[in-house]
Amino acid sequence: MQLKKPIGASLAAATCGLLGALPAAPAAAQEVGDWDIDSSLLLYGEDNDRVKDVSLDIAIHRALDEDRSFNLNFTVDSLTGATPNGAAPTNEPQTFTGASSGKSYTVPAGEVPLDPSFLDTRIAGSANWQQGFGEASRWNVGLTFSDEYDYSHIGANARLEHDFNLKNTTVYLGVAYGQDEINPVGGAPVPLTPLPGPSDTPGGEGEGEGEDDGGGGGPSQSKDVTDLLVGVTQILSRRSLLELSFSYGRSSGYLNDPYKILSVVDPVTGLPAYTDQFPGALGIRSFLYLYENRPDSRSKQSAFAEWRYAFDRDSMAVNFRYMTDDWGVRSETAEARYRWNINDRSYLEPNLRYYTQTAADFYHTVLFIDRPVPQFASADYRLADLDAYTVGFKYGHLTDRGEFSVRLEYYKQEGTPSPGSAVGELANHELILPMQAVIAQFGYRFKF
Amino acid sequence: MTPFRIALFTLFTALTGAAATGCTAVQPWERDLHARADMTPDAQDAAIDDHIYFSKEASSGGRGFAGGGCGCN
Repeated sequence: MQLKKPIGASLAAATCGLLGALPAAPAAAQEVGDWDIDSSLLLYGEDNDRVKDVSLDIAIHRALDEDRSFNLNFTVDSLTGATPNGAAPTNEPQTFTGASSGKSYTVPAGEVPLDPSFLDTRIAGSANWQQGFGEASRWNVGLTFSDEYDYSHIGANARLEHDFNLKNTTVYLGVAYGQDEINPVGGAPVPLTPLPGPSDTPGGEGEGEGEDDGGGGGPSQSKDVTDLLVGVTQILSRRSLLELSFSYGRSSGYLNDPYKILSVVDPVTGLPAYTDQFPGALGIRSFLYLYENRPDSRSKQSAFAEWRYAFDRDSMAVNFRYMTDDWGVRSETAEARYRWNINDRSYLEPNLRYYTQTAADFYHTVLFIDRPVPQFASADYRLADLDAYTVGFKYGHLTDRGEFSVRLEYYKQEGTPSPGSAVGELANHELILPMQAVIAQFGYRFKF
Repeated sequence: MTPFRIALFTLFTALTGAAATGCTAVQPWERDLHARADMTPDAQDAAIDDHIYFSKEASSGGRGFAGGGCGCN
């Protein structure tokens, strides 16, 4: 049987090690002396005038010799649109002081409140150096940074890989540490205190994010994030391989979303409570909303498995992830893609993804005025019981110098309100707005 | 246990079992299929997806580091 194999393919394969584990570059990109440029333009848009993102991403890879290579990555994101502020709909218009802008905005009766003033530009970059040592080991170290108007990040990471068993098995171990600084517009609010009414805010017709002086009055907040990753990639046969990994992540510090609030309502009628029903509240009587509060630490653990299989012409990959954390969130993710290599120059790759998560212990769609305020509470729907689906495809066309690609995906999320929240008037409204998004990505990859 | 979790667990166990017991070493000259570019995940697409889902869901990480560095709305 072995005698029938094409000698050219066997020789080519003999020079290639196992590169299944990220962040190693694809086998085809390991030629010494070439600059490999991977560029993409991402257009992301949600329905109901929610978040829109235009993102440009450039990745540069260069192998200096067989052992040493580096990667540089640079991303610019431009974000606009509206995002749920956490408050619940009611049968009257609601007016809010824009937490992220200082401007007031009014939401019509019956609608899920969206803060329309979300506007940001984010830049992010990373640099990684990889070097081989010994016969079968590599290390990789890198730095990361990102900066946006009210948030900045710096981080470092390191990863060690070792091949054994004729390079059929690769084990890897990684560690990453990041430090983030958060400068909320107007300062970080005091958790679980009332949102000021529109007329309580000095200069209520304030300025947009881009014109403020970098987060406003309060001191900046920070958080540290540490991640550990351990994994193994195992070739199962000439056609298939399996990657298994386990990761542990711990965040500590300021983990609140400073722009998210909760509605406080009457437990029978479901109508909004008023500020004068809240002990110590000052100012003019208005609907009562409280700033959210999350624990100041979070530990996450996840297990990931991916199986890849090569047919004679096509290939496929299936992966699963299970994640759990000490906030009460458990999630499961399944993804599958099939690569149809139409001919030597074109391919089509359909993909499917399913995601489901349980709600965080402190997720509350609304709070009730007759009950004590909990120690931790958030109405951020991303911490709710949530299901999501993605369906899409990628088409690629290879040219003599590179590859063009187009990726088009549809993403849908549906959240479930916390049990017992649809009381009285609230039963007439959709408490969490389903979200649909379209993801379009245009890529060009080339060498020179 | 949900049906999804049962399916996940079954597949995970089967694959892990295959990895532990069922594989014989594939020789270097038998790597032609593994060497194909489409057998390596696209790192850039994976990074973009991770960023989108990290911003919209309460989970992150798995394939790589859990990530962060974003005050995402």
